[in-house]
Amino acid sequence: MTVENKAKSPFSAIKVVECGEGISAAFGTKMLADLGAEVIKVEPPAGDLARRRGPFPEDQADPEKSGIFIYLNTNKRGVVADLTRPEGRELLAKLLADADILIHNVPPPDRAASGLDSAALTAAYPKLIVTSISMFGDTGPYANWNGYELTAVNAGGWAYLSPGASPYPEQPPLKCFGSQGDFQGGVHAAMVTMAAYFNRLKTGKGQAIDVSEQECIAAMLEMNLMHWTYAHRETSRLGSRLLGPWFIGDCADGKIFALAVEEEQWKRLVELMGNPEWASEDLFKDRISRGQNQDALKALMGEWLSQWKVQDLYRAAQKARVPFAPVNTMADLYASDHLAERDFFVPIEQPGVGSVRLPGMPSKYARTQWSIRRPAPHLGEHSEEVFCGEYGVARDRLSELHKAGVA
Amino acid sequence: MTDLPLAGIRVLDFTWAWAGPFCTMQLAHLGAEVIRVETTARPACVTRLIPPFADDAPGPNRAGYFNQYNQGKKAITLNLTKPEAIEIALALAKHADIVTDNYAAGVMDKLGLGYDKLRTVKPDIIMISMSGYGQTGPYKGFVGYGPPASAACGMFFGTGYEGGDPGEIGVSYPDPNAGIFGAFAIMAALTHRALTGEGQYIDQSQLETALVLMPEGLLQYDIAKHEPERHGNHDPVMAPHDCYKAAGDDEKWVSIAVGTEDEWRSLCGAIGQPQLADDSRFKTQALRKQNEAALDKIITEWTTARDRWESTRILQAAGVAAFPSMGNKDLAEDAHLAERGYLVQLEHPEVGKRIHAGIPWTMSGTPVSVRKPAPIRGADTEEVLKSLLGFTSDRVEQLRKSEVLI
Repeated sequence: MTVENKAKSPFSAIKVVECGEGISAAFGTKMLADLGAEVIKVEPPAGDLARRRGPFPEDQADPEKSGIFIYLNTNKRGVVADLTRPEGRELLAKLLADADILIHNVPPPDRAASGLDSAALTAAYPKLIVTSISMFGDTGPYANWNGYELTAVNAGGWAYLSPGASPYPEQPPLKCFGSQGDFQGGVHAAMVTMAAYFNRLKTGKGQAIDVSEQECIAAMLEMNLMHWTYAHRETSRLGSRLLGPWFIGDCADGKIFALAVEEEQWKRLVELMGNPEWASEDLFKDRISRGQNQDALKALMGEWLSQWKVQDLYRAAQKARVPFAPVNTMADLYASDHLAERDFFVPIEQPGVGSVRLPGMPSKYARTQWSIRRPAPHLGEHSEEVFCGEYGVARDRLSELHKAGVA
Repeated sequence: MTDLPLAGIRVLDFTWAWAGPFCTMQLAHLGAEVIRVETTARPACVTRLIPPFADDAPGPNRAGYFNQYNQGKKAITLNLTKPEAIEIALALAKHADIVTDNYAAGVMDKLGLGYDKLRTVKPDIIMISMSGYGQTGPYKGFVGYGPPASAACGMFFGTGYEGGDPGEIGVSYPDPNAGIFGAFAIMAALTHRALTGEGQYIDQSQLETALVLMPEGLLQYDIAKHEPERHGNHDPVMAPHDCYKAAGDDEKWVSIAVGTEDEWRSLCGAIGQPQLADDSRFKTQALRKQNEAALDKIITEWTTARDRWESTRILQAAGVAAFPSMGNKDLAEDAHLAERGYLVQLEHPEVGKRIHAGIPWTMSGTPVSVRKPAPIRGADTEEVLKSLLGFTSDRVEQLRKSEVLI
């Protein structure tokens, strides 16, 4: 665990409440927690969904050992309250009374019953910033529709483009690895929430923020939309590459992504390949031709690639300022000398699990402290500490609520 | 405009390509004055030169790529190969709150515009450098783009059809991802400055901003001790979970994902086969996952018999997560996105009104909007130099002639 600097983080005065299931809201509050904000995570009695989705040690499901839950929820204190019951909503109200920020991803049709209607909350707590993340946003014809990660990347238009230049028309649009739609909901929410907090320092006023995962993904698709609105061309996962070389090739011990974007990069690559005769053929005269004739190019480059080890070729190409990159495995990443020198992975001790190496800091600040200060909470670990110790709930009352399944 | 979150905040923007401009566009949406620095002296501003162009007629102000990701900004031309241009850049930095770049590591220092130099003219300046691999470490000088970053961060390794090779992911995702993380870092640094008075430098690596979105793969290796496998659109837990072929031509697909028992029962009813809910092959989530192939076949028979929107409406009415796999035309014509104000059409002097992607969030107290279309190249050079530095028209003209302002 990183050692906490002696100076107090200027963000430690920010109180954040999270009502998150899964990834999006939890990642948004993680970004604030890692800078020092005090985050209280409110889970339903059955626990956050993320506890039930691994990865797990030895692949044995255990709600206290989920890797994704641990990653998302270090630095947070965890309490339990069933927001579908009035007693649970009373507990939430106590937390919100002195909170600065609430981030949640309860779907719009379920909000009123959970006491999370944005307009009602901003009326009751005028200084509170209420950020809701949902699949389609809070308004519009699809607002009440259901959605998961797969929905986000299809509704946003990403899957339709993936894997790109595919030779398999019978295979469907392809989802990218992981939970990118949910993560983007979280990153966008954190960014806008921070902007609203910055604004509140000037005005003293809170507000409601509505983040749509569908729109976050649709905003990240490079020239996709403009191909239609500028040039009336429909795009898809099929077709050919705009430029080349641009392909995944086979080295002796693994795969490498071969790319040259600029003509100068191609010239230096040809030199690195030992100036083969075929490279001067008309088929490969510029990057557009090399994109159109990529199958031939890939075949011709294949023998050369197969003589290299991935890491050796990566370094040799980069030394020639050619932007190759290895198709890294997870093992490669944990073994990377570059990431090690930048202290990217952060080892923590998670009770019941042991040592876990978490992906670390996304941006290195010279002054703002980024740190992992505490492990992820067990279900309800801080209910008593928070509700009784800090918000005046009598211990008897809490155990009554516990028996009734509310807390 | 004065009531926007970043009203009064000025950004001197040296970014190019996609990651950097995507970052500073967020700041423009939030109300900042973003001054984009470009030059025609070298082909640095690639996004003005890449198709699609409006109606396929090339021109630096007609590129969709540039016009999408530079909405709301000002544009000045400054030839940074000239010493006088560096002086002007420093003079502008004195009036800026934030300086951004996404050059390879070390380039801003070489230009004489590194953080240590900038803080001599503006002690509380915030600077962010968004490079491929970061400013330190053995790969700091490596050339980075979004697609190789997708390979390097493990996304290619984890993506692909069932049993197939590592796949590409269709878009240069690590670019806008670095941009949105950069916007967060700037908001954090602005808040830090408001609370303490301190500015700071931020070193951001595109590779690392992508890696923080790979926990399912990385931690599987770290705690379950094995690499992720490729399963197309299938999920480790949920089933059904795929894109299914729809009626019509080959390119219509509908995604369907079922995560709960309630949703499963609803789906069975909605597709007219309520008996499936009690079928011994599909009674629990674990069984559905185990018998996924048979399940996918049943669902495909239903989806191929109808339009993707009809499937979507039937299933969503029953509470099941279904949605067409949207193409670019679908997005541009979508009634929901239009009603939410997400699709933006502003009058641009050269390309007229075109639909662009707008802002994926709303704020109730500080209503943000795309305030103006992307700038014509150099449109604001004279205005910025006059208003911030007190230059005269003659001086501007002279600097144009001496190729400082090109």
